[in-house]
Amino acid sequence: MRLTFDDTVEAFRFEFRAWLAEHRPTAEEMAADPAISSAHLPDWARRWTRRMFDDGWLVPGWPPERGGRNAAAVETLVYLEELERARVPRTTNPQGLGIVAPSILDFGSEEQIARFAMPILRGEKAACLGMSEPGAGSDLASLSTRAVVDGDHFVVNGQKVWTSGANQADVCFLFCRTDPHAPKHKGISVLLVDMDTAGVTVRPLPHITKPEQTDLNVVFFTDAAVPAANLLGELNNGWALAGASLAHERGMVWVGTVMELESAFERLAGEAREVLPGMPAFEQARAVDDVVRCYIDVQAAKCLGYRSFAKLARGGSAPEQALMKAFCSESSRRLHLVGSELQGDRGLDVWEARRGEQAWIEQYFNSFGGTISAGTSEIQRNIIAERVLGLPRG
Amino acid sequence: MDLELSEDELELRDNVRRVLNAACPPSLVRSVFEGKDTGDALWERMAELYWPALGLPERFGGLGGTFVDVTIVVEELGRAVAPGPYLATVTQFVPAVCELGSETADHAERFLAPVAAGETTGTLAIAEDGRWDPAAVRAVARPAGDGWVLEGAKCSMLDADTADEAVVVARAPGTSGTAGLGAFVVSGDRLRVSARSVIDPTLRICDVALDGIDVPADRVLAEPGAPGTVDALHRVLDQATVAVAAATLGACRRIFEMTVDYAKTREQFGRPIGSFQAVKHRIADLYSIVERSTALLYFAALTVAEDDARRHEAASLAKAAAGDCQRLVVEDGLQLHGGIGMTWEYDLHLLLKRAKACEALFGSAASHRAAVAKSLHLLEDGTS
Repeated sequence: MRLTFDDTVEAFRFEFRAWLAEHRPTAEEMAADPAISSAHLPDWARRWTRRMFDDGWLVPGWPPERGGRNAAAVETLVYLEELERARVPRTTNPQGLGIVAPSILDFGSEEQIARFAMPILRGEKAACLGMSEPGAGSDLASLSTRAVVDGDHFVVNGQKVWTSGANQADVCFLFCRTDPHAPKHKGISVLLVDMDTAGVTVRPLPHITKPEQTDLNVVFFTDAAVPAANLLGELNNGWALAGASLAHERGMVWVGTVMELESAFERLAGEAREVLPGMPAFEQARAVDDVVRCYIDVQAAKCLGYRSFAKLARGGSAPEQALMKAFCSESSRRLHLVGSELQGDRGLDVWEARRGEQAWIEQYFNSFGGTISAGTSEIQRNIIAERVLGLPRG
Repeated sequence: MDLELSEDELELRDNVRRVLNAACPPSLVRSVFEGKDTGDALWERMAELYWPALGLPERFGGLGGTFVDVTIVVEELGRAVAPGPYLATVTQFVPAVCELGSETADHAERFLAPVAAGETTGTLAIAEDGRWDPAAVRAVARPAGDGWVLEGAKCSMLDADTADEAVVVARAPGTSGTAGLGAFVVSGDRLRVSARSVIDPTLRICDVALDGIDVPADRVLAEPGAPGTVDALHRVLDQATVAVAAATLGACRRIFEMTVDYAKTREQFGRPIGSFQAVKHRIADLYSIVERSTALLYFAALTVAEDDARRHEAASLAKAAAGDCQRLVVEDGLQLHGGIGMTWEYDLHLLLKRAKACEALFGSAASHRAAVAKSLHLLEDGTS
């Protein structure tokens, strides 16, 4: 065990920090034209992604031709720390960079890589993930959007929901059923669907606290014709792609989440220092305890993250990584609840202008995105119990 | 930044566990619980294996191990519900002599070498009125000739009835708060001890009266008011606190493992109870809290080992997390075991009681959260 990184790793950190200081988009630039969905590429974001790609900082663990520099895992870790510290988003299309492009690079043809993956990595295209359906949420394998072969194309019919960024994406990574007679996990394929394909329509679902900023959508497919060449991987083997992501960074997904929690806690502590002195003794003691519990959660998540990363870096397994998603998202939810409660009835005020950010109560509602999307906390607990601890399936 | 145990550290853990499986089986713990054994043989075994010397510098006959090594041993002792003087001797007495003693008086040589050799045991008398806070000390040290006379009362001392030596914290008459604090080494037989009858009888928790104990000058670790004494006391408490958190988590992890095993094998309605989601989700939560608390524990141990500036806060975070951990693990561990957990014959209760006893020592979770609130300056204007 040790508290510091090797000098070579610190040298890597400073190299990136210096590059970042020179090339990062400015806070003003980002604020003037914010990304309003997870597939929105404002001009600054396009330039930024391209710059990172060209200079080998987009995915440091990859080779230069894919936007990297063959960095070691621990170097990628400090890279992610530095990005968070500088409050610069790595991308405004996280599912494109984190899931869609890597999956196409792993499973796609040269032509698919050239048409879809590389433009995503260069900031030219944005992607969305067509997974959940009205009848298939946590039980994703029950999805029923159909794709039927018809000559040299598939005809797609069905409906996706909660599709982040579909209103602004260029391409959809679509999970659909290609063999209705096979067992439910076996008859699924992935199609790369251009969002301007005839028969694809998007209905935005205004957000719970930001109706003007739409990220979630319903996507309808009505006799949409998708070229057979857009089938990713093998027919009926799509389920194998459902868990794909930036595999070499999988042990570090927590870095951004934990550092966001840390900065959320800084805001909470600031809020607390303002309001605590005016509270009656009992309420004050309770509120202090609530705030400190949030701090312990954040520090625990951080230590657990570094500990699990160290296991992976040594080539071992880190089963406790399965805990990070549920714990971090629930910690964030608790933290924002405490923030809103600290303010008493003033916490009801929705005062976007005050600090350029949403009210605690709004952020509390937003935080459910973390505990619901990408596998609810309940599903996470099933996964931990069954896959990590070996409890029998129900 | 590497917060996972190294190969050597993992090997130490495995070795300690192997030894304790043989030398400290539940049957031994049960004999101590029932007053049929003292556990002395276990301490002799530990001494044979140089465990008391582990964290001591080599110049005093120690093995030069780190505080992380000591934490590993203590976690395993908690897991085994081991009786004996290791915790008080190695994580309280030794740090007290190291941090408070003076080089010129050869305190370390005099008091630590016999510990390293397994010849003497020790403990620490600091708590009063249920508070492990130097500022709460009221026991008084009066100058008398070349030495001092100690008067007052200490509570919740480990092994006061068996330890050979005790470091006693007392203050100069008329001082308060962090002023005037001093530390003295008192022979164990000078203490007037009332051994308490506690829920975990393998921990010898005692209250102690200091009835005018005279201490010669060569047994004064820190004269009342000597510069650096308060800092040193906090450094001692950091180590003792992390160690008690380690003991708590050792017991908790074992309870968790037993609960998982039980949920896999106990069948009702024709299937293992662990297949029911109501059980599964609680067990997933136990796993989460045990892993999180362990991560904080070893971070704290590492800050102590590397003498990092965050050590004091990290110790409180670790103890607070361990406290919350035992709360959930004891409650759900016992609940999920059902009726069998309610019996004296089943081993679970040995662990439950160790976990609860450790929560109450060296500051509850709530008291350590209060300490963290202070380090976060929550109740100040933020400028301090």
